[in-house]
Amino acid sequence: MKKILLWMLVVSIVVVFSMVGSLIGCKPEAEEEVVAEEEVAEEEEEEVVVVPVEKTEVRWFVGLGAGSDEGTFAPQEAVVEEINAAQDKYEMILEIVDNDVAYDTLAIQIAAYNAPDIVGPVGIRGRDSFFGAWLDMQPLIDASSYDLSVYDPALVDFYLVKEEGQLGIPFGIFPSFILYNLDLFDEAGLNYPPAQYGEMYVMPDGTEVEWNMDTLREVGMLLTVDANGNDATSPDFDSESIVQFGFLNQFTDPRGIGTFFGAGSIVADDGVTAQIPDTWAAAFKWVYDGMWTDWFIPNAAYQAADFMQGAGGPFSSGNLAMIHIHTWYVAPWALGEVAFDWNLAATPSYNGVVTSKMHADTFCIPKGSKNPEAAFEVLTYMLSEEIAPKLLTIYGGMPARLALQDTYFDTYTETNFPDKDDINWDVVVAGMAYADNPNHESFMPAFQETTDKYNEFYNTWANTSGLDLDAEITALTEALQTIFTAAQ
Amino acid sequence: MALSALRKPRVRMTQLQKKEAKWGLLFLTPWMIGFLAFYFLPMLASFAFSLMNFNPAVPDEAAFIGFQNWKQAIITDKEVLLSFIRTIKFAGISLPITLGFALFLAIILNSKNVMGKALYRTLFYMPSTIPLVATVLIWNGVLSEQTGWINVIIQKLTGIQVVGTEGLRWLADPRLIYYTYTMFGLWGVGNAMIIFLAGLQGVPTEYYEAAEIDGANWLQRLYKITIPLITPVIFYQLVLGVITTLQYFLAPFVLNQGTGFPNGMTRFFMVYFYKQSFTFFNMGYGATLAWIMFIAALILTITLFGTAKYWVYYAGGERK
Amino acid sequence: MTGKILTSRKPLTRKIKNRIIAVLVTSLTIAILVVFLIPMIYGIVTSLKTEGQFAKVGAPWWPATEGQYEYEGESYEVFKVPIDGEIKKMALVVKGRGQSQLVDIDNPEAGLIVWDGEWRQLEPIWEFDPQWGNFLEAWNTINFPRLLGNTFMYASITTFGAVLSASLVAYGFARFRIPKKSILFMLMLSTVILPSAVTLIPMYFVFLQFGWVGTWLPLIVPAFFSWGTNVFLIRQFIMSIPRGVDEAAMMDGAGPFRIFFSIIIPQSVPALTAVALFHFFYAWNDFFGPLIYLAGNPEKYPITVGLTAFNRLYAQSFNLIQAAALVTVIVPVIIFFFAQRFFMQGIVITGIEK
Repeated sequence: MKKILLWMLVVSIVVVFSMVGSLIGCKPEAEEEVVAEEEVAEEEEEEVVVVPVEKTEVRWFVGLGAGSDEGTFAPQEAVVEEINAAQDKYEMILEIVDNDVAYDTLAIQIAAYNAPDIVGPVGIRGRDSFFGAWLDMQPLIDASSYDLSVYDPALVDFYLVKEEGQLGIPFGIFPSFILYNLDLFDEAGLNYPPAQYGEMYVMPDGTEVEWNMDTLREVGMLLTVDANGNDATSPDFDSESIVQFGFLNQFTDPRGIGTFFGAGSIVADDGVTAQIPDTWAAAFKWVYDGMWTDWFIPNAAYQAADFMQGAGGPFSSGNLAMIHIHTWYVAPWALGEVAFDWNLAATPSYNGVVTSKMHADTFCIPKGSKNPEAAFEVLTYMLSEEIAPKLLTIYGGMPARLALQDTYFDTYTETNFPDKDDINWDVVVAGMAYADNPNHESFMPAFQETTDKYNEFYNTWANTSGLDLDAEITALTEALQTIFTAAQ
Repeated sequence: MALSALRKPRVRMTQLQKKEAKWGLLFLTPWMIGFLAFYFLPMLASFAFSLMNFNPAVPDEAAFIGFQNWKQAIITDKEVLLSFIRTIKFAGISLPITLGFALFLAIILNSKNVMGKALYRTLFYMPSTIPLVATVLIWNGVLSEQTGWINVIIQKLTGIQVVGTEGLRWLADPRLIYYTYTMFGLWGVGNAMIIFLAGLQGVPTEYYEAAEIDGANWLQRLYKITIPLITPVIFYQLVLGVITTLQYFLAPFVLNQGTGFPNGMTRFFMVYFYKQSFTFFNMGYGATLAWIMFIAALILTITLFGTAKYWVYYAGGERK
Repeated sequence: MTGKILTSRKPLTRKIKNRIIAVLVTSLTIAILVVFLIPMIYGIVTSLKTEGQFAKVGAPWWPATEGQYEYEGESYEVFKVPIDGEIKKMALVVKGRGQSQLVDIDNPEAGLIVWDGEWRQLEPIWEFDPQWGNFLEAWNTINFPRLLGNTFMYASITTFGAVLSASLVAYGFARFRIPKKSILFMLMLSTVILPSAVTLIPMYFVFLQFGWVGTWLPLIVPAFFSWGTNVFLIRQFIMSIPRGVDEAAMMDGAGPFRIFFSIIIPQSVPALTAVALFHFFYAWNDFFGPLIYLAGNPEKYPITVGLTAFNRLYAQSFNLIQAAALVTVIVPVIIFFFAQRFFMQGIVITGIEK
């Protein structure tokens, strides 16, 4: 009996090793095809048969941020082909993973020592979710004397993370603004939001008011309408049959909503004490009232309703008058086929201060990359003056490279919205001056757990009416403190 | 007396028995090879993870910490017990309903009293073949309290105001959520149904004929013939049902985005595992949780197997 | 003669009774089926809608577009407007609160007519307009033929391997006395009991060392070495087959393989078909495995992974996803419909002498 078991064990080990051995011998088919094609092509071009040079592979992982929806596949592949054709040292391989599963997939790859070589575009949140996984690029920058002066120094520091080093080189910035639906404003007989910072807003009765959160609330309520045509300021308003909403902080999280009222951090300077800044508490209350009392912001139930669905989320449904969003949303996948006219306007102020939160994307190199020097060189190609704008038009960002910023928007509009020539890009450029510092996606202790916790609270608020928000905010602070203390 | 019952006398195997054992093992070879090649090492490794502090983003910094994770999971972390209890509660609601419905469908769709069975079987099976991506969209759409079909239809048929946030909130009401998930699970009943159907085929019709002649009605035939003879399949469904429900993850993940909403009620054990392993990147702790689940499920399974001899009838059962 | 008439009356009422039962039971089944399929109808209807239909408040549940009217080069929606005592079909040109401007589509020369009232309370004219083009668009967007081909290949090969290996192993567990068999059986079940998510990374690592990541091998090869669930199920079935015929064959000198192929397999066809179907559809819908092992090789993706292409960042194309999903469903459904014959064959006799 025991002998049989032992024999089985030996057989299985032999089988396993022979499987391994036979497979180490052969190359994956894809590579063979590529090599064969290259050989054929080269033979056609030159009379002398040249032995194809062994190109170093550089894997580019897309999916943590933008770049995983179908419309971006072809343009990204085109860029990869261009880079591969322009030199013969490196062979870029593009790996696109859907954003919903990209975090898990990347975690598995890094944990199993199969890390990609370049990861991006990745925003601050993506970068901080994988804290510790990224390579400090400073040695590579020094070794190749890469010129960082072409970028705004503040942006370069953005990627200088304490104890980790220079994790990225600025690539694209995505300022934020109010995006509004002109048709809905026309129907309501309202003036459009201010196109420039500092401009006053003119109410229907002619009075000029400051463009701040109170005004936004009033205008939002006038633009929130029920099935009978009554707006939210009317006594006949029926909150159970709302068919159009005024405003939403779309596609952001509680820190982004808080920063709408003023920049701040969820952790005090000592790095341990949890706090909800006063501006954030005010923002949460404003939004909560907007969802359940004033009704101009769709609550979770309404956000899930059919009439708020669209390829680009609620705004693209045409039933939401204004959102606060970043430039990556001004893209064909979101606004490509909407039936209404839209444009960009200034972010409102709170207590006299404007905070227009900023997203900044770059590409990082995992520490586990098998060939960081190759990865860095390919990265320099991607960030170059020729290639970077091409990538940016795909992702919707402004170039971080100062020299490119002036002409960029013409190219962007031409590529993505050739029929629309009145997009108010000035407000985007002007918005840079109001970027949130500290950034709303910056590092917190126990990053993922903290994110999870405040999302949990926010989800409850968006789903439940009649809460005492002060008590909720206190409870959140306490919950966060528990997490921060345990993380020390 | 008890001790001697526990100790089985060590019997030498006869030549015939040794031969039988050899043949048996030969048939088991595919599994054994596969197990050693694909499962053994990963299972050991996952247990090793539970003894380590493992952040997948920085695998190089994984450090051995002994049984700290286990201590934390069993003693300190309240969420472990809470999520386990939730899972059991949910299993208690969902398992009987799902298995019962599958069996009911199989019996009806096997009965000679129904016209057009082949078509109905296919239609009942169809939803379980829809890709998950689409199923999630369908159910999110249908369950929406504001515009979802379920609420709209109920309101149209009964006139009760169930639409809106004051009405039936399928995914947000703590009282409803487990039933919502059961509903969602019932949609995938096709698989259980065909297994029961296959089991029903194994009941020789001569038994039914004999029973009819003896004057048994359909209820008696059901209880005395059908059910006893398909107990092997029922047993399979029960064991597998317990195992998969304890590992319940997909529905809370896609319908409530793994948030545990409402009130943490959908934070089942494996949802908590996922959170720890893939969201918080505490893979060592996550591995501990998975192994705790493994031990609990193993105990339950072994117990179920122990009860099998009391109620499962194998026509070609074990020889002694 | 009298006797014949008497006996012929009984079967008649019996027949009617059976008929009534049949109708009742069938109606019950259909009723349950209809409720069961409501979400599915939602899916079908969604696949035929335009992208914008969801956002149209008050849109009917069936695929529809509003009647449109062209006026001065632009298209406007047509509503039924109560004006001047009658209901006229008018196109809404300028929307406003409390007052709007419309054009009478029967009398466009009259120009814009000002109307007092809330346009949101007006009823639009809905036309049944199924967007069959969605299917074509879905087909073209994600290269359906290749995805379907990949999925079919993956599902068939694994099903074949799974059924073959599982039946062999189950036979071993069911019919042979093996020392410590219950421990081995539990060991096999433990691969099912241990949540697969926790062995994900080590397994990925193992396959990475083999060089199999990026190919179909990690998904196909393990199927040939039997899966715990399949073995368990087939073992249950084999154990329900009485041993009488086995023993007779053994006395005639048949070896275990002979018994397996000539006696056990034929009697297990319903079970094997059930396992085959079960496995086929599991592989057809498998998502996470192919996702992590084939990441970056879109030409090898099965449908489930390919469908994620319809996910935009933060949002999705509902109608296209449903259309694609329905196309995906057709193959399994057809296979199931025809496979029923194989597992619906019952057995009449046990073949055992009493």
